Order: sequence, then structure tokens, then C-alpha cells
Amino acid sequence: MAKLTSLFVILLSFFCISEAVFEDQVGKFDWRQQYVGKTLFAHFESNTQSSKKMFVATDKNIFASFNSRTGDLLWRHVDKTGPEGSIDILLLHGQDALMVVGDGRLLRSWDTNIGGLNWEAVLDTGSFQAACFVAIQDTVKLVAVLKKAAISLHYLSNGHQKWVENLPDSDAVQYQAVYSGGEEEVYVLGVVPNSHLTIIAYSLEDGEIIKQRSVEASWLSSIESSCVVVGQGVLMCVDPATLALYTLPIQAEETPEFSQILLQSLDLEVFPGFQPVLVSSQPHPARSPLSEFFLQLGPDHHVLLQLNADGYTIAPLRDFQPAFLVSFATTGKKTVAAVMTPKNETVSCPLGGVSPCSGWCLALWCVVSPCGVSPCGVSPPQLYVHAFLKKDDSVGYRVLVQTQDHALTFIQQPGRVVWTREEALADVVTMEMVDLPLTGTQAELEGEFGKKADGLFPMVLKRLSSQVTLLQAWLAHLWKLFYEARKPRSQVKNEVTIETLSRDEFNLQKMMVMVTASGKLFGIDSKSGSILWKHYLENVQPNAAFKLIVQRTTAHFPHPPQCTLLIKDKDTGLATLHVFNPIFGRKSHIALPALPRPILQSLLLPVIDQDYAKVLLLVDDQYKVTAFPSTKNVLQQLQEMASSIFFYLIRSDQGNLSGFRLRKDLSTERIWEVVLPTEVQKIVAVKGKRPNEHVHSQGRVMGDRSVLYKYLNPNLLAVVTESTDTHPERAFVGVFLVDGVTGRIIHEAVQRKARGPVHFVHSENWVVYEYWNTKSRRNEFSVLELFEGTELYNSTVFSSLDRPHLPQVLQQTYIFPSPITTMEATLTEKGITSRHLLVGLPSGAILSLPKMFLDPRRPEVVTEHSREENLIPYAPEMPIRTEWFINYNQTVARVKGIYTAPSGLESTCLVVAYGLDIYQTRVYPSKQFDVLKDDYDYVLISSVLFALFFATMISKRLAQVKLLNRAWR
Amino acid sequence: MLLHGRLSELCIFLQAMFVFACCFSDIESGPIATSGSVQPNGDRFKLEGRAIVPGVKTQDWISSARVTVEGEEYIGFMRTDGSFVVNDVPSGSYVVEVISPGYKFEAVRVDITSKGKMRARLVNFIKTSEVIRQPYPLQLRSSGPHTYFMKRETWGWTDFLMNPMVLMMVLPLLIIVLLPKVVNTNDPEMRKEMEQSMNMLNPNPELPDVSEFMTKLFSGSKSSSNKAVGGSKASGRPAVKRR
Repeated sequence: MAKLTSLFVILLSFFCISEAVFEDQVGKFDWRQQYVGKTLFAHFESNTQSSKKMFVATDKNIFASFNSRTGDLLWRHVDKTGPEGSIDILLLHGQDALMVVGDGRLLRSWDTNIGGLNWEAVLDTGSFQAACFVAIQDTVKLVAVLKKAAISLHYLSNGHQKWVENLPDSDAVQYQAVYSGGEEEVYVLGVVPNSHLTIIAYSLEDGEIIKQRSVEASWLSSIESSCVVVGQGVLMCVDPATLALYTLPIQAEETPEFSQILLQSLDLEVFPGFQPVLVSSQPHPARSPLSEFFLQLGPDHHVLLQLNADGYTIAPLRDFQPAFLVSFATTGKKTVAAVMTPKNETVSCPLGGVSPCSGWCLALWCVVSPCGVSPCGVSPPQLYVHAFLKKDDSVGYRVLVQTQDHALTFIQQPGRVVWTREEALADVVTMEMVDLPLTGTQAELEGEFGKKADGLFPMVLKRLSSQVTLLQAWLAHLWKLFYEARKPRSQVKNEVTIETLSRDEFNLQKMMVMVTASGKLFGIDSKSGSILWKHYLENVQPNAAFKLIVQRTTAHFPHPPQCTLLIKDKDTGLATLHVFNPIFGRKSHIALPALPRPILQSLLLPVIDQDYAKVLLLVDDQYKVTAFPSTKNVLQQLQEMASSIFFYLIRSDQGNLSGFRLRKDLSTERIWEVVLPTEVQKIVAVKGKRPNEHVHSQGRVMGDRSVLYKYLNPNLLAVVTESTDTHPERAFVGVFLVDGVTGRIIHEAVQRKARGPVHFVHSENWVVYEYWNTKSRRNEFSVLELFEGTELYNSTVFSSLDRPHLPQVLQQTYIFPSPITTMEATLTEKGITSRHLLVGLPSGAILSLPKMFLDPRRPEVVTEHSREENLIPYAPEMPIRTEWFINYNQTVARVKGIYTAPSGLESTCLVVAYGLDIYQTRVYPSKQFDVLKDDYDYVLISSVLFALFFATMISKRLAQVKLLNRAWR
Repeated sequence: MLLHGRLSELCIFLQAMFVFACCFSDIESGPIATSGSVQPNGDRFKLEGRAIVPGVKTQDWISSARVTVEGEEYIGFMRTDGSFVVNDVPSGSYVVEVISPGYKFEAVRVDITSKGKMRARLVNFIKTSEVIRQPYPLQLRSSGPHTYFMKRETWGWTDFLMNPMVLMMVLPLLIIVLLPKVVNTNDPEMRKEMEQSMNMLNPNPELPDVSEFMTKLFSGSKSSSNKAVGGSKASGRPAVKRR
């Protein structure tokens, strides 16, 4: 009983210690930005002027709905990553959005109004080729899905399959297109490359083959890339070799072959080396497509053509050059063709050139590109047009442009940009937080302390003058406050611009430099989340690896801060450097070293050159070292220190871990090697300690007043391996603690019946790792803590070369009731504050778990000593409390990384979680002990003070009266 | 202390010397292929269920909810009526969870045999083999909204008054004020008795009363200080004269 109560008391105390968000703090220090990724398909809701919704499917397997007026996300559905969740096609009909997912695995229908699923149907196996709506008697009731070897029809209302048919001779024929023009048949088009074209007509009723024929087409290799259907079911193909258009009526059986129209006869010329592209539009699945279509002849040259009623001849309607992108959109009975032209180009672009109306009208509009050709240099790959009927029955349009740098721009009719979404931020690879620069006055004040004393009197004068400037600044601030208080609140906007950026009192506001996979760099203000600068690196390969290094911080005024981005091509291993100013995003013009060989490793040394930039060493595949910057001063310093510079290399494919030492001539020397045989296990990850981490206390005071000293080896590496055997009985996870200088294996822990993915944190004297227990089918946390014992071997200096005793290792394991996606530890300025682990969960929550719960000294039996040490009794299962979610309901989908940075306040740690979304907040692992809390009750304190003051006054007076009365008596 | 500082400094120095850069070595802790890779003709089953949030319309919460099976291994979405299906799940044992940022749902463990027989049971990570059956198809009922926020300690008069310290102060005060009114002080017998009791309380009558001492100090300080100033002036002048 006593044990139980003590447990309860201790738990209660922890409940009090661990922090949580208060409801009134929502959005005060934190913000979230939600992204979806690069758009693959986009559709707009019904074509009225007031409609606000648009729907996109992206390369991140996300189906989302935006408010088209503001660009805000209405709802979003995040599917599995990888090919199993990839979206093959998105079709929209009325309220229903139809989606084929996972290379023809599933067919889903969404209710776009509320963002819920209507139904989900499993499709037969086979890779997806095409899909289209099928109408029966003018109403769209079915959807046809064409796979590699089968075609199936599904009801739109419930997803049930109407019929499925195997395609004849599917080994030889590549079926690539399906077409329905509102008749009783659905046509499947297949091609045997460079031989012939196959057309099969299926009956809608029962899937019977009505007719089947093949047409000679030796020039045709792919229907997808070179053919479209135009007019009354006429297949239109373009052949870049013969420079001709080919037409073939699909339905008509009497025409046995394609008829050829040479482009020359239409006075059209193809840009040399360009593959011509056809663009057509089928406004309604129950009708046949438009007879007007675009032909792209060059990168910026489009022609609008029309197929005449006879189905054989073509009439050119208009020529557009320069024009980057074209697209069709339909509203009611009117169809709009949008042409995107670069800015400041005079193009003959009459508004509303209408073709002869025959039920369908064609109106032409020109969209002016949001950025001209040269300044942004980004050719927009996709254009989506939302056309709608205005009240006066004229056609209005809005345009969505997806550019190569993953920016999504929405443009109103006069070419005005309504909103822009930076979707590149959906895939942040790495980031750093950089201190903001001091303002001019602040810098001046700081400068006063740095200089050598030049006499007493000038110093006093300087002191006084700086105080005056401070007073001035304060008065100006007060005046501003007063001035703004008079204005209505809506007008007051604290616009953050690069010019007004300056460090705040406690260094809580920083610049977040984010590197995205698309090669676009962003500078984001950590307080508001607004993007202050962006820079697109155009020649970055899609599979490049990035490493961001802060070479010079803002502390070295007047030298600007300097960041270096190392970009490495994963295939060739060749690296390039991009040096920039992290505050303004501008590229620095510094002579970059030539890097002709693949780079294996990079290391940032604490050595600084005469301009206060830290030295970056790059090791190439011949173990030669390149220094950047490589001035004479730096090389001299390197020579002096060479004997104490060590580095390590890992080759996971060979299971090889090796350590090197730098020689005076900047060549290297291998000093140790550890081989983990790749037949048994592979190295999954290696982590050292963070260089900016501070450990405040050298040991822990035990219950009996003795001290247990921590084993604080700054050179310690944690190496995690996984077994190659994935059988649940034989799989294991290994953790090796290796000294990076000597190669000595300090400790080795093997978790049997366990497999990855392993997430781990290595900090101070502990390693926390998480793995999957295959036997009990649960996630487990394990903590390793290293102690030197009750005596320090050498308390003045730590040297890896002189440490004869191995540390004592304590380990404990706990059950964690949820899988995790990422893990990081909080970091503070001096390391006095207790540590928390920040754990990203698949639900999008970020759990702040006190490190005290992961302490291998948690006792099973509570004793006097353990109670004095404040150890929590051991419990096998780790709690997850929703109060510990630092991001409350602001979930971060697919958390990929958590970045922690210290602030100027010891109690406060800045946290950025990134994945699909970006979330920034502050955490106080030991509560805010160094500043007044934001809910500090000033009113109460001052009222009590005043009350006491008046009470003393009154009682004094009363006492005087009493004394007087007594004297008279 | 000095030793301490130097030690940590050296540590940092050494640490910085040996720079840990886990950069372009070939390690990538990227996604690891799941063991259940796609089998072209393997037996795949579907998991069915329904989730209910009492008192909330389905359209208000389903757009932000989803169903996860064993982390994010398999994902299902909510239908407009609150039911869900997760397709393409091979046989095995899975923890199925409805995840919603607004509402709390219990997780359920679902076992699928190789023949496709389903069984749902409570999740117990400690005794993993324990079976407490749950209905299948799953019936998940939300136990209410998540509690993300701590309550602020608000300040109220009742809290203040009910504070034990305040109670300890207020009660004697009441006694002091009320007792003289209850007890007739004009009665000489009573007075005698009280004096006696006071004497008993104050064992040493020689000791000065603290309150009296304080009043003396504060009321008398002005005049005494004035006098002192005057005295110093008076004594200062002759000194000047003497020079």
C-alpha cells in the first residue's frame, strides 16, 4: 500500500513537472504551414463564378482541396508513400472525384463536398494505362479503366463492377488509350510499335467485342505521346520523322488506313529536334471532342488548328509564338483556350476570337506569365484553367500554373497573381537556424565592449552617448506603440521584411534556412513563418544529397554571415558548393575550390580564418583533403593542428568503418578500421554528438551523496546495424559505440528478435534507440547510459588516447505503445535545463517525452535512495499523454525530421518539425524558470502592493490618533 | 570551479577538433522496404469497421481522419457514413487505429489468419497473447475529444480565502474582534480574571512589548533624528570656530 501511494505521489510530481500547452497559448509562439507537393492533376469545382473549391492530386500521394480565393487548404488526404499510394489519374464529375491509386490497385470515389470517401473498389492486378468516364444516353454513369491486359467498367454510384474483359493478344499489343464519345460502345486503342494499330469496340451492355480491326501504322510507336482524339471520333497523330499529321476515324469501318497531311502543306515548321505534341479537349464525356486542337511545334510555339467536318482536311486557325503553355477549359457551352505568353511580349492576342459556333464555341484568351522569360527562367510545366460563366454570360477565367520550382500560382483574369504556394517546402531535406543580425545601434553598443580601453574620459563619454541613443530608441518605440494603439487593429500589420529584421531580446526569433529536394532554398522568419527570401538552384539533379553548413554566424560584424550548401550528385558523387548569405539569401561571390573528384566526407573544423569563417574540409575518394576557404593563413593553421584532426568514413556496402588522421601535407593516413561483415548485418546509421551541445553537470549525485560521473566522450559514435536475415526469429538490431579517434569499441548491444526501422538519439552520455520487437509485435525504446564510475580518471581533459578504463554501461528497455517516425532531443544554451525527447508519431503528433522516463537507473523496488534521487519506479510501458503533444491538434503529416536549436534563454528550446508540413514552436523542458511566465498576474501583484501600502498609511494614522487619545487621558 | 570550466572547455575543444559529420558517406537512413512486399497473387484481405463520434456529424470529422494499420503500413480512409475499409492487407496481426486530430479512439488488434478469418481483440502490449474479444467488423466509438491543454491556475477569491494560511490568520482576527463584544469587559471580576490570564501568557513582564516598541520607534524616530541633526550642527560649528 505504501509502495502504491509513493508511486502515486511520484507520478503526480511528474505530472506537474512535465510541461503542456495552455489553451490561450495556441498560435502565440507556434505556427504551422501545410503543403501538398507538386501537382499532377488539378480540377476546379463546377463552373460558376462563385465556386471556390479546387482539387489537386500530387506526387506526394495526396489528394487535397483548396480554397481558390485564398489558397488555403480545406481538407487533405495523405495516402501511403511510395508507389503503393501513387495517384495514377484524377477525374472529376460533378460532386464526385474519381481516383486510380497505386498503379491500378484501387479505384476510389470521393465526395468532394465534405472530403469523405464514397467508395473504394479493388481492381484486378495489372498496371494501369488509362481511364475515362463513359456516358449512357447523355448521363455519365460509368467509368472505364484500362489496364495492361484487361478493361473493366464500374458504376459511378457504388463502385461495383459492371463487367471486366481480357484484352485479346495483350502480350504483343500495347493498349494505351480508351475512348468513349457517348455512343453505345467504348473503344480501346492499342499499338504494336512500328507495325500496326489495333482498335477494339466493346459493347457497353455486356462487354462483348463488337468489332475489332487493325490498321497499318509503321511510323507509330506510342499512342500516349503522339495521338489524340478530335472532332467526331477522329484519331489524330503526329509523326516527328515524316513531319506529318495522320487522321483516322475510329468508328468508321470503311477507312482501312490513316490519311496523311504533311505539315508543310499547312505552312508549319517544326523546331529542329523537337517532338511535336498535340493537345485536344473533350468537354463532356457524353459528347465527342472538339474539332479544334493545339499543335506544339517548338518549346514556345503553338498553333491552333481545326479539323474540318469532312474529317480529312485541317485548317489553321491561329499561330501563337511565343507561347509556353496551352490549355482548354469548358463552361456551359463555351470552351476557352488559354495561351500563356511571357510578360512584356506583344502577341497578337485578340480577346474573344470566336470560331463558327456549332453548339460549341471557342474563345481565346491570353494569360500573361507571372514571371517573364529571363528573370525567373523557370518554364512552367503545367497549366490548369478554370473557366466560368459570368453573370452577363461572358466567359471569365482563372488560371493555376505549376512551375518547375514547385510553386503553384493562381492568376486572375487581368494577369493578377491571387496567391502563390511554395510547394517545394513539402519536401524539406535539411535546415539550419541562423541568428538574426543586430541592428546598427545594437552593434554599436556591442562594439563598445570589444574595443581596447582608450582612457577613462572617452569611455565615460561613449557610455553616456550610448545610453542616450538607447533612450532615444526606447522613446521612439513608445511613440510607435502609442501611435499604433490609436489605429484600428485591422490596420496594424507587423510586416516582417528583411530590412526590419533584427535580433530580439532573448534571441528567440531566428532565420530558418530550409533546403528542399527540388533545389529551392528558403529563408523563413521563425516567428511568423513568412518566407523572406527564396532562391532556386536550377542545375540540381533530382537525386542530389544536400548538406547545409553554417561557416560564419552573425556574431562577426561587419562580416556577413555565411552558409555553404554542399550538393552531391548521388550517382557520380561529384559535389558542388553554393555559398550564400543566410539572412538575405544572396549568393556570395567567393572563389570556390575546384572539386574534380567525388567527395566522401565533409567536416567543419573549429579553425577560423582571418575573416572568422570556419574551415570546411572535403575528403575525396583518393583521401585527399581540400580546405575551403583555403587561404595561406588557414593552411598554416591546418599544418599546425594536423596531428589532432581525425575523421571517419563509413562504407555501408562493405560494412567498413575506418578512421583517418590528417597529415601536415593535407594527405591522410588510415589509423583504424572496423569491419562488420555484410553477410550478417548492414550498417544503417551512424551518429556522433552535436557539436553545439553543452553538458552542464559532470555527474549525478546519488542518494548516498556520492557522485556518479558521466562518461562524456566527445568522439563517441553510435553505429546502428540491422541483420540481413529478416526472419522474425533470427532478426536482430545491433548498436555499437565506437570511439571515433581510436576505433575502440566501447560497448556493443544486440537486441535479438528485433528489426528496424531504428530511430535513435545520441547525446551527452546516453543513446536512446527504438526498434520493432518481432516476437511481441511492439515497438520498444531502449536506453544506454555510460558512466565513468564514482571517480574520474582525468578530470581536467578528456583524451580518447588515454582512457584505460571502459565505462560502466547501464541499459533499460521499455514498451512504447505506438510506432514512431523520427526522434530528436531538445537542446538548450548551457545544458542546465533537463532534456526531453521529441518523438514524431505517425498520427502527426510530436510527443515531448521527459528523459527521466528513459533512465536506466529507474528502480524496480523503491528505496530511500532512489526516492531521494527522484527516480521514477520502473514501469514496462511508457505512457503517451495527449497533454505532452507540443503541437496539440496541429498535426504534422509525415514528420521527417525535427530540428532543435537553443535560444538566448536557457529554459527555452526552439523546435521545427518538418515533413509534409512545417511546424515551429518553443518548448520549455523545465518550465520557464528564467523569465516571468506569460500568464504572470501583474494586476494581482500590483493591487496587493497598493492595498498594503494604503493599509499601512491608514493604520499609521489610526495609531497616531490612538496615541493622542491616550495622551489626553 | 576553475578546474571545471577548463575541463568543459577542453572537452569542447577536443570535440570540435574531431568533427562529426554524418554526411556523404553512403549511409542513408531512408525508408526500409517492408517485409510484406507486394505479392502479385498472394492472399489479400480487407479490414472493415465503423467509427462513431457520439454527438458529432460525420462530415465534421471524417475529412481529417484516417485509419492506420500498424503505423502507416496500410492506410484506409473514412467513408461519408463513418465506416471504413482497408483493402489489400495480408494475413497477420495488426494494430488498427482511427487517427483524428480532434477525437480519441481506442486502438484494436486484429488477427487475420492465412484463410482470411478475422478476430479483433483489445491491444495489450505487455501480455501480448491475452485475448479479450472485440466485435468484428470493428465498432470503434470515440471516447470524446483529445485533451491537449492543461488548465491554467486561475486566481479566484474563494481560492484565496480557502488557503490554510489565510484561514489561520482570519480566525484569530475574528476572535480578537468578537471576543471583547461577547464578554462583558466592564465586569470587574471578569477583568481580573483576564488580567490574570494575560499575565500567565506573558511570563516575563519585564520584556518590552514588540508592538509598543515598534510604535515608539516609528513615532519617535522623527523627532530624535531632528534632534540628532541639530546636535551635529551645534557641535560642528564650534569645531569650525576652533580652527
